[in-house]
Amino acid sequence: MKNIVKIALFSSVSLLLVSCFNKREPNYQFMPNMYESVGYETYQESVAFKDSMQAQLPVQGSIKRGWKPYDYPDTPAGLLLAKEELKNPLLADSLNITSNTEAGKALYDIYCAVCHGAEGNGKGILVERGKFAGVPSYGDKNRVITQGGTYHVIYYGLNAMGSYASQINEKERWQVALYVEKLRNELVK
Amino acid sequence: MASHYEAPIRKPLVTGDKTYHDVTVDIARPVEGKANKMWWIVFSISLVAFLWGLGSMIYTVSVGIGTWGLNKTVGWAWDITNFVWWVGIGHAGTLISAVLLLFRQKWRMAINRSAEAMTIFSVVQAGLFPIIHMGRPWLGYWVMPIPNQFGSLWVNFNSPLLWDVFAISTYLSVSLVFWWTGLLPDFAMLRDRAVKPFQKKIYSLVSFGWSGRAKDWQRFEEVSLVLAGLATPLVLSVHTIVSFDFATSVIPGWHTTIFPPYFVAGAIFSGFAMVNTLLIIMRKVCNFEDYITIQHIELMNIVIMITGSIVGCAYITELFVAWYSGVEYEQYAFLNRATGPYAWAYWMMMTCNVFSPQFMWIKKARRSIMFSFIISLVVNVGMWFERFVIIVTSLHRDYLPSSWTMFSPTFVDIGIYIGTIGFFFVLFLLYARTFPVIAQAEVKSILKSSGEKYKKLRDNNSNHNHNE
Repeated sequence: MKNIVKIALFSSVSLLLVSCFNKREPNYQFMPNMYESVGYETYQESVAFKDSMQAQLPVQGSIKRGWKPYDYPDTPAGLLLAKEELKNPLLADSLNITSNTEAGKALYDIYCAVCHGAEGNGKGILVERGKFAGVPSYGDKNRVITQGGTYHVIYYGLNAMGSYASQINEKERWQVALYVEKLRNELVK
Repeated sequence: MASHYEAPIRKPLVTGDKTYHDVTVDIARPVEGKANKMWWIVFSISLVAFLWGLGSMIYTVSVGIGTWGLNKTVGWAWDITNFVWWVGIGHAGTLISAVLLLFRQKWRMAINRSAEAMTIFSVVQAGLFPIIHMGRPWLGYWVMPIPNQFGSLWVNFNSPLLWDVFAISTYLSVSLVFWWTGLLPDFAMLRDRAVKPFQKKIYSLVSFGWSGRAKDWQRFEEVSLVLAGLATPLVLSVHTIVSFDFATSVIPGWHTTIFPPYFVAGAIFSGFAMVNTLLIIMRKVCNFEDYITIQHIELMNIVIMITGSIVGCAYITELFVAWYSGVEYEQYAFLNRATGPYAWAYWMMMTCNVFSPQFMWIKKARRSIMFSFIISLVVNVGMWFERFVIIVTSLHRDYLPSSWTMFSPTFVDIGIYIGTIGFFFVLFLLYARTFPVIAQAEVKSILKSSGEKYKKLRDNNSNHNHNE
């Protein structure tokens, strides 16, 4: 009998201790000496900045090392120009076309296939489920699709499509353009 | 009486015509009586010192180690000096109770209880320093190899600082158990004499129902012997491990193979000096002159003299080896000790540790209570400086002259040291009022062999026998 009382007491005390942890809040910490960053972390908030964001915009017109500005304007004329004269620099490296296309496929499947469909026929999963409609197929013979144009559209977006310039970098955009070309050729065939 | 042979050359260890009952009454008197004014004064002073030290410790831990006088070159100074000093003092207690038990030294009986108390209280003081000198003492539990959520991140068993943790904690626990088992018959005596219900209750609790049956005594003796056998290598290894903190380093002046035995000798040296200091006062205050006789003090002085000479030999050995080594860093380390900016500390250490115990060769000096009291104090000062010299003079000037610097303590360093002295005396004074400070059971076991009354009886008897 005495033992039962003891066990009950012990388990209720331990339960009480355990129940102090609330799942809706971060847990208690023991001496969080170096848990909070002293330096600025990339996406943190800070009163040191006007809009409380650590991630501040660079000065307009500044160019960082290893980065080229994209000169074509975000206008119908710009798109036309890009379609005509912008060439894929990856084509110069003919030995790596296959691997670049493969990389393009991987990126396409992540970023593009949800709407455009894995085959580029405009039947992505979102379209199939009726979330929205009006995604054209690459196989539409009336559309002029060049690699330069694809690049331009990824960079700025077009109509309902938004810009993907913040998700994929310059080289990746060209790899996707390579793969889109390949899909179109297969569809048109 | 005649059947017992005791060499007539042996001096009595219990003077006065004591009976068993007298022993009980004498030893129980300080516990059963009331504290006098003097006790309260000394206790208050110690308590204030302790609280001051506690304040310094809290200040250190909450503000940071930067409140101490340490710098980037001298990262260990008063903290480890005091740690080693207190551990060293703690060694005499176990030595007296364990080693002297193995050597069947009857004179230990009157002093072992207090010596062990001193061990425990000084190891407690020592134990404070490894914690408070940590930068983040709240993570001190990480030194233990406990299974954990960091992928069961373990400690590295290669560091003498970890060995220190095991050494000190084992030493404290074994000493505590050894001390407490020895206390059982004495607590039982106090329990049986207690008239106030509260005291009766307390001493009943702490004496664990000791009833003194033959089987109990038989096992008691066996346990004491086994614990003595365990405690002896423990004493030697604990201070050896403490010495490894330095000896295993690559610092000139630290990296020496002589440290383990030399530190142990120093520990016994300073520990006996502390026992001597305390017992000289205690025998007077508690009227224990008949139990802690001049004979006891003389024997302790002889131990001090011997260990002091061993320490002296070690100093000379170090100097010789430094010269003989041809290592200029080591030669400089010793040159720096003797002639550098801390030469005063070195010569203080030399004077106190090498020269002062040599006075004990003179019989008149070692049988003088006043003189041995002063020498014991001097020895403890010297042994403090020994640790200080080893630690600081080796660190403040080593390989790179660009890293040479000086060390001076702040009031926090000093405050913590004073605090531990205060804490030690708070514990010791409380002990002296509540514990049987002499192991009455053991003294009673030698009363008939080494008591003055019985020695006389035996002398007369044997003379009588010869005349027949």
